[in-house]
Amino acid sequence: MKRWDSILLKVFLYGLPAVIILAILSYSYGLGKHSQISDKLTLLNGFVGLTLALWMLLLIYLNIRLMFSGSFRNKVLARITFIKEADEREVMLTGKATKTTFLTSLAILIFLFFLSCFQVSFYRVPPEKAVNGKTGFISLGFGFSLLESPTKSQADQAVQKKDIFSYTGLPVSTTTVILALIIWQIVSYNYSMRRLIKCHDARRISLEP
Amino acid sequence: MSKCPPRLKMTNRLHVLRAEHRLTQEQLAREIGVTRATIGAIEGGGYNPSLELAFRLARFFNTEINAIFSVEEEK
Repeated sequence: MKRWDSILLKVFLYGLPAVIILAILSYSYGLGKHSQISDKLTLLNGFVGLTLALWMLLLIYLNIRLMFSGSFRNKVLARITFIKEADEREVMLTGKATKTTFLTSLAILIFLFFLSCFQVSFYRVPPEKAVNGKTGFISLGFGFSLLESPTKSQADQAVQKKDIFSYTGLPVSTTTVILALIIWQIVSYNYSMRRLIKCHDARRISLEP
Repeated sequence: MSKCPPRLKMTNRLHVLRAEHRLTQEQLAREIGVTRATIGAIEGGGYNPSLELAFRLARFFNTEINAIFSVEEEK
C-alpha cells in the first residue's frame, strides 16, 4: 500500500464525523427548525459542505484503488472482514471459509436472479373484454432486461386490467440487494471461519488421551 | 478399475519433544513462527503441517522429520 493511500484513508475515516454532522444539520434545516440562519451557521454549513464534497471525492478515489490495487485491497478489506492469516493453518482455514462463502453467495445470486426474472400476475378484465365468458386471468412470464425499464409496456397499458396480485421481480431496491450481499459475505465468512476453528478444536480434544 | 489407496493416518511426537525441551506451546509457536493454536492442532492431529513447517520443526529440534512425524494405514 502506498503511503499516499494510507494518508488518504485516514483523512477519509476522520472526515466521517463531519459528514455525519452535515447530515444532521441538513436534516434539521429541512424540518424548518432554523428559520433564521446566522452567519456563523452559514459558514459552518459551507465548511461542512466542502468537507462532504472532498469526502465524496476521496470515497470515489479509494473505491477505485480498492478495485485495482491488490495490496490496498488486502489491507483495507481484510481489516473490515476480520480476515486473519497469521500462519499456514489460518491461511488454509481462510481458504475453506472463503470457498464456503463464495459458493453460498453464488447460490444466493442465482436464486435472486431467478426471482428477479419471474413474472406472475393475477388480474381481471372488464366484462366486454372477457374471453369465453371468463374475466379472471393468470399470467406467467420470465423476463430479462439488460437495462431498467420503469414504464409499463404498451401491451399492459392497452388492456384495461385490474391487478389482483402482480409480481414482476424483486420488490427491493438494487442498493438494498447489494448492501445485503456485502453484509452476507462478511457474516458468512466469519461464521464459516468460526465453525472451522471449532471443528479443529473439537477434533483435537477428541484425539487427546 | 483401480483400487483406492489406503488412507494414511499421520501421527506425531511433537508434544513429547516439546516436553523434553521444556517448552510451552506458546514458546514453541513463537520460535517456529506460527500461532499457539497451530501447535495445538498439530499435536492433537487436527492439522497436518506443510512440508516447510515440518522441516522447520525438525530443524528446531535438531532431528529428522521421521523422528517427529510418522504415518500408519487407517483400518
